[in-house]
Amino acid sequence: MSPFFRLLARYRRGVVLTTTLIVAFLLLSLQVRHERTVVTAVRQALLTVLSPPITIAALAVQGVRDVWTGYIDLRAIRQENLRLKGEVAVLKRRIDQLAEQALETQRLQRLLALHQAAPVSLISARVIGKDATNWFKTVLLDRGSADGVRRNLPVVTPDGLVGRVVEVTPTASKVQLLTDPVSAAGGLLQRTRVTGIVVGSFAVGARVRYLPLMADVGVGDEVVTSGMGGVFPKGIPIGRITAVERKSGALFQEATLQPAVNFSRLEEAMVLMDPAPREGFEAEGW
Amino acid sequence: MGFWGFAAGLTLCVIGQAVLLPSLGAGALRPDCFLLLVCLLTVRLGPEAATLQGFLIGLCQDALSGGPLGLRAFAYSLLGFAIARLSRNVYTDKPFAQFCFLLGGTTLTGLLTLGLVAFFLEMPPLLPTLLWVIVPEGLVTATFGLLVLWLLRLPQQMTQTR
Repeated sequence: MSPFFRLLARYRRGVVLTTTLIVAFLLLSLQVRHERTVVTAVRQALLTVLSPPITIAALAVQGVRDVWTGYIDLRAIRQENLRLKGEVAVLKRRIDQLAEQALETQRLQRLLALHQAAPVSLISARVIGKDATNWFKTVLLDRGSADGVRRNLPVVTPDGLVGRVVEVTPTASKVQLLTDPVSAAGGLLQRTRVTGIVVGSFAVGARVRYLPLMADVGVGDEVVTSGMGGVFPKGIPIGRITAVERKSGALFQEATLQPAVNFSRLEEAMVLMDPAPREGFEAEGW
Repeated sequence: MGFWGFAAGLTLCVIGQAVLLPSLGAGALRPDCFLLLVCLLTVRLGPEAATLQGFLIGLCQDALSGGPLGLRAFAYSLLGFAIARLSRNVYTDKPFAQFCFLLGGTTLTGLLTLGLVAFFLEMPPLLPTLLWVIVPEGLVTATFGLLVLWLLRLPQQMTQTR
């Protein structure tokens, strides 16, 4: 071994350190003003070696991030879904309320129109209760004697006859419906002007009795109040004939009547305060 | 640790510094994985190998950074050499001492880098560089280094426990 290499071996630590420091110093010096080709080549070579693991790791991290983001998004979507479901429920309720208000407005508008068109004074009333048994058909109105309501006053809706007031308290009144088994009202077939008695019925709602045997009565005929009996003014719609019965040996024929008013949906009604004028309802209000 | 161990460590370090730490949201206060690698690898090496490995690690960091090539290579060569020379005398298992050594090494490397930058490029403002770069980086790197050391010892501790 030559003396030079022996010297190198003896001071190899210092030689290695000095060499690396000189190389690093030279590299730095070469870039002080402009990057030289050799430095660029070294940098590119290092980057070429180092970039593949970086690329692979970046792809892996991106994959993990995508999965994680997807999971987070899924959770967020689930939470948002729950929130939106809640909102939908609230909005549905709101829509129902608005629809209810719209229907009520329609009903009240019709009542108002009737009020303005009818030749007698009317007061509107809200149905606050229905009969507690299945034996009778009555409803309770929120108007009573304090409002001028009296017994036997007719109660109507824009669709037709509801019934008559049978009991009055200062703040409420009970109305016997047309369909009550013990109610009765004079009826008149609009087409043929045949009269009969409209009575309530458990089975079919209402029937028209005492129609002359030879009278022309047909399905679909409109029946209005006849004005006879002194309770109901003439011309208030009662209903429509749905079936006609002619029993052999009987003196009269009977008919089944579909009331003009849907009693199951009765929410507001009007009390005819002054039923004195017996004529004119047919032409004016209904 | 042979060549493949060094290559594996360097690859992990490159991935950690260039991909993992940025993707974990580590921003300005990112620990210096390359410096930690120098500390970890050179502590059991002879000064020559430690110097060369420090140089190579620094060169790789320079290649991935926007600074001039050779800046960290210079600093890590000296650091590797110093660690290899001192490790037998100051080797310790105590976390606080390890933290102090890591902090000292990081800070000294930072100061050396500052000097080189001032010599070759332009003198950066001293106090802000100290306060916002060198010291925070030293603290974060030392803390992260302690965590890495603990993780490296964990399998051994678990085996002993069993």
